[in-house]
Amino acid sequence: MLINILNGLVYGGLLYILAVGLVLIFGLRRVVNFAHGSLFMVGGYVAFAVAAYGGFWLALVVSVAVLAVLGVVLDRLVFRPLQHEDPIATVLVTFGLLLVLEDVVKTIWGKDFLSMPTPTALAGTVTIAGEIFPVYRLMVILVAVLVAAGLTLWLRASRIGLYVRASSVDPVTTGMQGVDTDRVSAVVVAIGAGLAGLSGTIAAPLMALSPSMGSFILIDSFIVVVVGGLGSFSGAFLAALLIGQVHNFGVVYIPWASSMIPFLLMVGVLIWRPTGFAGGRA
Amino acid sequence: MSLLAFRDVDSFYGRAQVLHGVSFEIGEQERVAILGRNGVGKTTIVNSFLGIATVRRGEVEMAGARTRRFRHFTAARSGIAVVPQGRRIVPTLTVRENLLLGASVSRAGAWSIERVFGLFPILRERADTPGTALSGGQQQMLAIGRALMANPRLLVLDEPSEGLAPVIVDELAEIFRRLAAEGTGILLIEQNFGLVRRVADRYYVLSKGAIIETGALAGLSVETLKKHVAV
Ligand SMILES: Nc1ncnc2c1ncn2[C@@H]1O[C@H](COP(=O)(O)OP(=O)(O)OP(=O)(O)O)[C@@H](O)[C@H]1O
Ligand SMILES: [Mg+2]
Repeated sequence: MLINILNGLVYGGLLYILAVGLVLIFGLRRVVNFAHGSLFMVGGYVAFAVAAYGGFWLALVVSVAVLAVLGVVLDRLVFRPLQHEDPIATVLVTFGLLLVLEDVVKTIWGKDFLSMPTPTALAGTVTIAGEIFPVYRLMVILVAVLVAAGLTLWLRASRIGLYVRASSVDPVTTGMQGVDTDRVSAVVVAIGAGLAGLSGTIAAPLMALSPSMGSFILIDSFIVVVVGGLGSFSGAFLAALLIGQVHNFGVVYIPWASSMIPFLLMVGVLIWRPTGFAGGRA
Repeated sequence: MSLLAFRDVDSFYGRAQVLHGVSFEIGEQERVAILGRNGVGKTTIVNSFLGIATVRRGEVEMAGARTRRFRHFTAARSGIAVVPQGRRIVPTLTVRENLLLGASVSRAGAWSIERVFGLFPILRERADTPGTALSGGQQQMLAIGRALMANPRLLVLDEPSEGLAPVIVDELAEIFRRLAAEGTGILLIEQNFGLVRRVADRYYVLSKGAIIETGALAGLSVETLKKHVAV
């Protein structure tokens, strides 16, 4: 039981790190980034490649950095030029990007499943309430909590965090105060993409790497964003916890329906509260 | 040096032209008013140097530098702070945070959050409430405070009296006079001639997107002004 809850937290943690990136990018660029799952996947592969030479920790740093740079490029070449266009244009472009990134990865690493070893320092297990649980999985939960705390602190207490919050509500007024909102957006997209890289990296030792590994988790993270209330950080946190648990219990107890359950939950929440947990803050 | 000058400016929203060859000028420490009826293009003058409307012809000078391409932040970085029509308080930020937003390009100067709180004590009292929870008059004070946080050389006020009770307008008039006396240039866009008379030295009249008249305010009665604007 407890182990199931912990496993739900592990998946919820990965979802949160992805979903919060979607929320950040949506807030500043009003874009639903369909390529976010692919960024997660590319993060996993970059980490896989680097880990073979420099070990897990170097892989983590490189993957986050590479994805953050990719985020800046994505913002400059896609989100920024398309920001005043019909949103469907951006959706199509990010969807196209998803296909391109999957193909690039297939070309470099092939279609077969790859597995990345757990870092040796975290390879052990601990006994929790009489049951055995991998230390690595605890670390994943801890990383998600640190990301949540770090982001909250950054948004609430830093100057650029203030600009991020202001521009996500009213970019024109924020700009009029002298803030270069395009720079702020670039930083935010870099962070969102870097977090996708982080999520992909820490997920890599848990799941087999494949070019399509981003698809399922992307759908679940969209559900998190919608259930949490589009644009809400705390909503995304709660929703990720919830979807993580629901997903995991589904996998354990009703495997044949497990992939549908998050959808059903989303529909239920939307009927109960059409704007999601954080309600009305869209 | 002009703090702000328009020379023969045409401005558009998309393909709709709103300003037709507008020229005016505000030197350092000047107090100038732009008058005009509803919909003649007063806000479009502001929107032109804020990068909201597009300047297609003519030239705009801000703090001595000539520009044709405007980003939203260009004016603020030239020492021009705008108190926009409708106030544009960011609803998800507290009063304090709205003020701090104004300090993003603050130049050296006397204004700090403490001094703004001194000028508008109600903002200190309500510092941690959401900006839009304030009354209309208080939101106007917040918008003015936010502009002052930048320590601007020129304060642009777009219909600051709109929707406010006469006593509050009196209070604002007093504050604008004080700011002007301290050396801040003021561009006051208004339809409240009483306020204009108390604050500005010179005026321009805008009609259908063009400046049709300009002059000194000294000696002009509110009635005469009304006639000038009504043409
Ligand atoms: N963002 C916009 N896009 C398109 N047209 C606009 C926009 N803003 C204003 N207009 C049009 O430009 C013209 C001038 O508007 P503007 O807001 O500059 O007038 P104003 O003198 O400030 O009026 P008011 O006294 O009501 O504030 C109007 O016909 C208006 O409909
Ligand atoms: Mg106006």
